[in-house]
Amino acid sequence: MAITRRELITNIAKAGVPAAVAMTITTTVGTQTLQAEEVPVPNAPVGLLYDASLCIGCKACEAACNEANNTPPDTRGDGLHQAPIDLNVYTRNIIKLYKPEDGSPSSFVKRQCMQCFDPACAAGCPFEALYKDEDTGAVRWDGVKCIGCRYCTITCPYSVPRFQWLGINPVITKCELCSHRLAKGLKPGCTSVCPVGAVIFGPRTVLLLEAKRRIKNNPGRYYQDRVYGETDNGGTQCLYLSKVPFVKLGLPEIGPESVPSTTLRWQRRIYSYFALPALLYAGLVTVIRKNLKGHEHEAHELEKETGLRAQL
Amino acid sequence: MSSTTLNNVPIAVPGTPDKARWERAVPVFAFPVVTSFFFVLLAFALLAVLLTAYREVVGLGPVSGMNDKFGWGIWKTFNVVVLTAWGSGAFAVGIAAWVFRRKRLFPLMRMALLTSFLAYACGLCLLGVDVGRPWNFYWVLFPWNWNVHSPMAEVAICMSVYASIPLFLENIPPVLERLWYFDARLRPGVERAERGLHKLYPFIIALAYLLPGMHQSSLGALMLLAGQRVHPLWQTPFLPLLYLGAACFMSFGCVAGTTMLCCLVWKRAMDMEILDEAARITAWLIFGWTALRLLDILFRGALPTAFHFDRFAGIFWLETFLTGYGCRLLFRSLKNHKLRTMFMGYTISSVGGMLYRFSPTTLAYMPGPKAEYFPSLIELLVAIGFVTVGLAAFLLMVKLFAILPAPAQDWRDMARYFEARRPYISWTKYFNFGFFGDTEPISPDILSDKVSHKDSD
Repeated sequence: MAITRRELITNIAKAGVPAAVAMTITTTVGTQTLQAEEVPVPNAPVGLLYDASLCIGCKACEAACNEANNTPPDTRGDGLHQAPIDLNVYTRNIIKLYKPEDGSPSSFVKRQCMQCFDPACAAGCPFEALYKDEDTGAVRWDGVKCIGCRYCTITCPYSVPRFQWLGINPVITKCELCSHRLAKGLKPGCTSVCPVGAVIFGPRTVLLLEAKRRIKNNPGRYYQDRVYGETDNGGTQCLYLSKVPFVKLGLPEIGPESVPSTTLRWQRRIYSYFALPALLYAGLVTVIRKNLKGHEHEAHELEKETGLRAQL
Repeated sequence: MSSTTLNNVPIAVPGTPDKARWERAVPVFAFPVVTSFFFVLLAFALLAVLLTAYREVVGLGPVSGMNDKFGWGIWKTFNVVVLTAWGSGAFAVGIAAWVFRRKRLFPLMRMALLTSFLAYACGLCLLGVDVGRPWNFYWVLFPWNWNVHSPMAEVAICMSVYASIPLFLENIPPVLERLWYFDARLRPGVERAERGLHKLYPFIIALAYLLPGMHQSSLGALMLLAGQRVHPLWQTPFLPLLYLGAACFMSFGCVAGTTMLCCLVWKRAMDMEILDEAARITAWLIFGWTALRLLDILFRGALPTAFHFDRFAGIFWLETFLTGYGCRLLFRSLKNHKLRTMFMGYTISSVGGMLYRFSPTTLAYMPGPKAEYFPSLIELLVAIGFVTVGLAAFLLMVKLFAILPAPAQDWRDMARYFEARRPYISWTKYFNFGFFGDTEPISPDILSDKVSHKDSD
């Protein structure tokens, strides 16, 4: 056994020297980060700033969202009211209410896609059906590439993408920042109707400045004097201000590094340029070729001995 | 010296030359293919096909318990993630036999290859039913559209390539062998095909170890991206490695356990030397895997959550107990040579491994408050149906092709069996294994229990 293992290792080493050299050169000389870890920044990232402390919960944005995206109002509850319980295939934008039993401050929350800079849904999407728009940075869905595996619904830390459970041609729905309206020079549907300006649209840098200005002018009003999305999950293009803890509004505390960059770090290293698998393959081929030859020889010896045809 | 146990199956005791030694793969020849059990399996399979057609028309919602919170049901989490772990025998047993030269395991290889192929084929078919837009799967043919760093892409691409190329090609030799025996006129063609296949073998076999190593670990990496939604007892950077390890010991259990079961059912001799070797490897694999898992939990500081009184802690301890107890039984069977102990060891540790592979995607997956999932009846029936297809195909293959290992004497028994039934065979043209041709004439000294030494003398 000891000899076999050593042979295995030496064979792998022999086969892999050129490959290892190539891999070392490409990964160490040059940039320290891997290509996949450099998150491409959109040319002109735009987003939403939602101030939960201003929102009055009128749900005008929900209706506007339906209209803008040409989806029917979700009246499945009682057949009369547009009252979806959560984001669903008809509802890309929803107003929810956090109201604790103990009488501590309550808050509305608007939920839609956060348009992450490094979205977990797109990182996991097998054929890049979910992708970052190069210009606006909106996370968009391409039905021609989607195989309907629903991995995006598993990975999104904000539980945003929705799969259509009915029918023979199911689609994934999520807020795409009204990209079709942006192309026409219009604002996203939800921001065009908000009566109190709780949700506003603009370039992300401008929104961030505005959020910081509000925090500065109203000390103690906002939770931790912090803008959710500035750095959370590697930065999101939709920013949140709130009086209550963000976790209560369904926005998990993920930390400044995005989910894909932390969880797939080793996966990406191992498969970078496919060098390591290629190395392993070359090693396996040499070892197996040798063992196979010995095995065939033994089988044919046995065939001569027993008169029964060799089974390989 | 041979002893007998349950069902009067002869077993070989290690260290002694014995008639029970596995020397050759032999078809299960004296048992009919079409039995009432086979019909039951086919009925389940047919039902599953009908329900699948219904699912394609109405969509996933009405037929399954899947919902917006639990986007994955048992079709993915059990039939693909769990059952392909059982079907990793071609990978785990193969690596032990071909790379680490555990030569004694060679007789198990055909069982390993067949169970793997069937598990993967059924899993992939059901995956095609499970995904919403399977027609877009043609993107797999265009590598420049792959999102290479996505675990899902890797699983989808690797699995389909693995099952359809290396695993399929590795399963061809028993079929060619059957053709060789079927008719002497086919022999030149068959031998040409075999030679071609043997030339390709190093490359095919190496691919057959590389690809499962990649996608079985990527199945674990799938849940890495779910981040905090997987309970800390399961969510770890070592998830890919642990998934791969679980696949290794579960597939050893599947291959060795299935072989033992087949030998019991069809009254075959059992070679304890080979079974001991497999049990020893499995036991050490489980030991190492459990140690890695516990150390990882300890160093990540997730151990306190194992002592909360909740569902997750319960599942965790159940998994640990099942794999640990199975490991203990396997170690014990190495000493007492009891088939029952060994078989229970394989079964219990495999169930524990299955639970572990199942947990991160379903039992320990926490997509939010009030999220619930329980498979619907149709979902269960389809999941069962796609397992019974595999089982039926397994029964068919084992009875028609030389898959199951046996002493060489069984081969001679088969020759005698079909020699006696030659009129019937020539009438049906159905199972012509009795034709032994030039190199294996039905001569009196082969029919008697003596081994002929005409070449060596």
